[in-house]
Amino acid sequence: MSTATVSTTRGWIRRLRGVELYLAVVIVVYIAVVGIVNPLFLDIGTLFDMLRSGAGVALLALGVLTVLVSGGIDVSFTAIAIVSAYVGVRTALATGIDNLWLILFVAVTVGTLLGALNAVIIYAFRLPTLIVTLGTASAYHGAMAVLLGTTSYSRVQMPQSLVEFGVVDILRIPGHGGLSVYVAIVAFFAVLTWFILQRTMLGRSIYAVGSNEESASRLGINIFATKLFVYSYTGFLGALMGVMYVSQLKYVNPVSLIGTELLVLAAVLVGGVRLTGGVGTVLGALLGVVLLRLFVSTLVFLGLDSNWNDLFFGSVLLASLIVMYYRQRARNRRALVFATT
Amino acid sequence: MVEKLRTILRYESELLVLVVAAVIPVVLFAAFLSIEFFAPANLQSMAIQMSGFGFLALAMGIAMLSGGIDLSVVSASVLAGIAGASVVSGRFIPVTEGNGVQLALLGALTCVVVGMLCGLLNGFLIAKISIPPILATLSTMILYSGIGMAATSGQSVPVVVPVVGDFVNATFAGVPAVFLLLVLALAIAGFVLNRTRFGRRLYLFGENQVALRFAGGRTERTILLSYVMIGVLVGVAGIIMVARVNSARTGFGESYLLQAILVVVLAGFNPYGGRGRVGMLVIALLLLQGISSAFNAMQLSPYFTNLVWGALLLAVMVGNYVARQHRPRLAPKPGPEPAQSEEVGTR
Repeated sequence: MSTATVSTTRGWIRRLRGVELYLAVVIVVYIAVVGIVNPLFLDIGTLFDMLRSGAGVALLALGVLTVLVSGGIDVSFTAIAIVSAYVGVRTALATGIDNLWLILFVAVTVGTLLGALNAVIIYAFRLPTLIVTLGTASAYHGAMAVLLGTTSYSRVQMPQSLVEFGVVDILRIPGHGGLSVYVAIVAFFAVLTWFILQRTMLGRSIYAVGSNEESASRLGINIFATKLFVYSYTGFLGALMGVMYVSQLKYVNPVSLIGTELLVLAAVLVGGVRLTGGVGTVLGALLGVVLLRLFVSTLVFLGLDSNWNDLFFGSVLLASLIVMYYRQRARNRRALVFATT
Repeated sequence: MVEKLRTILRYESELLVLVVAAVIPVVLFAAFLSIEFFAPANLQSMAIQMSGFGFLALAMGIAMLSGGIDLSVVSASVLAGIAGASVVSGRFIPVTEGNGVQLALLGALTCVVVGMLCGLLNGFLIAKISIPPILATLSTMILYSGIGMAATSGQSVPVVVPVVGDFVNATFAGVPAVFLLLVLALAIAGFVLNRTRFGRRLYLFGENQVALRFAGGRTERTILLSYVMIGVLVGVAGIIMVARVNSARTGFGESYLLQAILVVVLAGFNPYGGRGRVGMLVIALLLLQGISSAFNAMQLSPYFTNLVWGALLLAVMVGNYVARQHRPRLAPKPGPEPAQSEEVGTR
């Protein structure tokens, strides 16, 4: 994704606006600084590595974006991801069918259903989404651990089709490694998410529900159907990410991944997606992820250790929030809008 | 008498849900646990465990009263703990025979001050920049743990002054001192929230902040002050957590965040603001600690505990929703006011 934004034509640059432009500039400047300090960074192999390792987070970010646009917050997607992937792996091991498609099918089904359950609870009882998904995240993961246990599987023990999936490259440059198939998957779903959000009635209703649920309902939009799609889609993407994640690590650990959800959420929010719903783009969310992954993987090139990750990322997040909301506050003051949140 | 009981049932639905939620596990414990569970030593250790967490829960409760949330409570208290522990680690100030008590006091003060500064930053971002509380505290959560991580490289900071450990184990008439500290804090918080102008304004802000502003209340100052208060509580939680394990490390106690939210919602606080009482928080805290200790005694896996926490959180929220639907006159508060909170003239 970073190439797409960095080496673009002028037309592309002109289309970047607001937060996205600001983010793109920060990313380009940061890459330039790292490149000057350590020229080793400017290698196509590094780019391939970063795309590969960032693919999972990007997939999660697309789901989070959809939920945020609909006016909700989801923090259960990491739990859904690891639960679905683990159920998929265990199914393959239990049946003895070592097939990637079976694992994917089981995982995606579980993920979608768990996401749908989120939507049902949220809609039926009109509960705050953050707290519901905090609860379901804990419950889903706990239920998995109680029912299936938390045995982890090493590279030799896990289904070999998964291990093979993890090393597939779609493009290979000798001496610089290859471009993982994950990138193609993420690109496909990025375009799909963009298409759903911007070019379909469903997408328009998601934005409408996020902007003002009451008005959307009076316009005749089916709120429940919209929310059901949003949370199921997030569960679906989470499950896909979970399978990708275990195949990338070549190690199945059912207690990993939990605890990273707020970081993914923060990455999407850096990309200008509004927590109050109705505002946000795929490009913004992906740029946010790029920024997050840049910090994670480039501090080494700057000679700092990874302990500085959170400090850097937190500062950038805070700075962009201050800029964004201070301007809005000034606008609201002029328009005599006094609500502070 | 019957009439009065009926009134209570009608208007105190949150209490009812909580009592039902509390009775079930108590019956179960009575059936499964031996009498040793209720032995003084075990109750003492439960009280100590509850203390640090109680401060975090109280902090979260205050945030929810104003319709906000504070996701940074745990990372701020860990950062405060790291700062405080560095004072008593002997790394910067040499520890001698005589200066133990002074150093411990200085460390405690550092904890509270750092916690307060963390709260002040949160309050500033929320009140003066108008960043939504979830967003502001999400980013400060990352920032605070980032500062702690960068300062310590993820290493734990040891406490070498023995007074600190003694503080946790000190008892008055069999009751741990830290627990008394929590009781004191709860009492003060109850007084401030119910009997002062600031407290009334905080509730009103959670109920309807625009109305408060037009009624002449200083909304920004109220919110700023509430987050400073949260910061102080978080700092004290930091002291207790450091003293309990005699060291401070980033990433400590991350599971407390979910539990803090759980206990506050369990106590009937409305996440959209304006409703919630300290007294109920006490009951919810006792319940949560009871369940948690009982699970420990039964040697259940922590994942099972997670499952129960999640399920309990959902069950209580659904119960409260149903109860609110049936409550006369007091209409349910369906959600945040959608209209005015968004910017005017969207791009």
